[in-house]
Amino acid sequence: MPVGIVQRDAATAEFFDGAARGDLLIRRCDGCGGWAAPQARTCPHCASPALSWTPAAGTGTVVTWAVVHTKGLPTVTVGIVELDEGPWMQLQLTGDLPEDLSDLRVRVAFEQPEGGEAVPVFTPASTQ
Amino acid sequence: MSAVIAGLGITEMGKVYGRTAAEFAADAVRMAAADAGLAVPDIDGLLTNTGISGDVGLGLQRDLGLRDLRLLSEIQAYGSSAGAMVQYAAMAVGSGMADVVACVFADAPLKDPSSGAGAAYAGAGRRPTGWQGLAAASGIYSANTMYALAARRHMRTYGTTSEQLGHIAVAQRAWAVRNPLAQMRDPITLADHQNSRWIAEPFHLLDCCLVSNGGVAVIVTSAERGADLSQPAVHILGWGQAHPGYVMGPGSELGLVSGAAISGPAALKMAGVTIADIDVAELYDCYTFTALLSLEDYGFCAKGEGGPFAASGALGPEGRLAVNTGGGQLSSYYMWGMTPLSEAVIQARGQGGERQAPRHDLVLVSGNGGLLDHHSTLVLSPNPR
Repeated sequence: MPVGIVQRDAATAEFFDGAARGDLLIRRCDGCGGWAAPQARTCPHCASPALSWTPAAGTGTVVTWAVVHTKGLPTVTVGIVELDEGPWMQLQLTGDLPEDLSDLRVRVAFEQPEGGEAVPVFTPASTQ
Repeated sequence: MSAVIAGLGITEMGKVYGRTAAEFAADAVRMAAADAGLAVPDIDGLLTNTGISGDVGLGLQRDLGLRDLRLLSEIQAYGSSAGAMVQYAAMAVGSGMADVVACVFADAPLKDPSSGAGAAYAGAGRRPTGWQGLAAASGIYSANTMYALAARRHMRTYGTTSEQLGHIAVAQRAWAVRNPLAQMRDPITLADHQNSRWIAEPFHLLDCCLVSNGGVAVIVTSAERGADLSQPAVHILGWGQAHPGYVMGPGSELGLVSGAAISGPAALKMAGVTIADIDVAELYDCYTFTALLSLEDYGFCAKGEGGPFAASGALGPEGRLAVNTGGGQLSSYYMWGMTPLSEAVIQARGQGGERQAPRHDLVLVSGNGGLLDHHSTLVLSPNPR
């Protein structure tokens, strides 16, 4: 199922600029070099607020997932993925998914719904 | 000065239309004061907690015609708010800051179907912007999905199954059958649970709480004053809070351990009791999984054993542990943390009728909010410490 439409705001502008280029931007601490999720405002390792946008490799492993059923709409699989850099991202899982997604290796892809920002999704790494 | 819960007000509940949450809140406070044998002007402290309707707040003072309050605040820690309000009220009474504190939650998310409006919990129609918008665009726009993600992690880690979650739903419905206040009073079977439609796998419909319009209030006062009022006083023996602040990354305990693991021992220690002493547990159960995780984190069973514990028949009216004796949020009514708190007051007083637990000297109340982000615990008793 295609993703929905999302508009940027000030906090997400750079993230969506990256998505438009095909980069999954996450945060990296200027102090300790630790990685943080894109929405983080504080380094989870050293508590520094000085974080910079950095492209992630775009690969990771499924931590958990859910299959969302909504009346009148196709089912959607969503999940929490642990990026190889460490941070977790909650996004849609697409492509040819096995029934058991535990520890599935995935890779980021981007969808471009009309009228909104490019939206990252995860798809099985083996099918890339 | 120790504090007691002296009054309980529960409005008409469920698919009740034509009243705002603010009106439900005012009615609940009036009912709680009357229940205690107090007049509304006796209230000198007011703590409010608004649901998603968002219109229960400081204006409630004027709605109730209360003058010269010595304590007035909005409290917001989502599902842990009811427990938190009682804690702050007990501290206000204990310090002499206020004498009679009303704590109230009300919400009116259900719209009259004839009006063409849907339930406000659906999340549809909000303009998807920023990080929240990205989640929504990805298909993650409801608490159902967030808790389903947490539950699946528990299932993958400990082998918990949907059938085991179903035992919680079935046991709580069996309690609700005996509760005249409950919205859902027809018995269900495990097969009914398994056959109910998917909401967000691994959750079926019968894993999820109800949605209710209504309001609940309690009156907190000193033990001395409470001794002279209309109802048996319910002593507030212990309390705790926990706000885990889960890291969204390696080492996160999201879905595996909740704040009950911290707020529970803190509350029990304050009360001077252990978990083995607890007679009745009223657990926040926005989902079957939330109740299961709380059972583990309080230590009613070992970590990871919540599923087998539920499936063993430990819960329900015939079980060995009285849990969610009113049917909980799954089957009675969904008033955030006021659901477990209100039933706890009823049980501690011994007013549970057909669903009264025979032993009710120590009643534990659990509140949970956000995505397992906020937790509160109370230990209540008909007896002073």
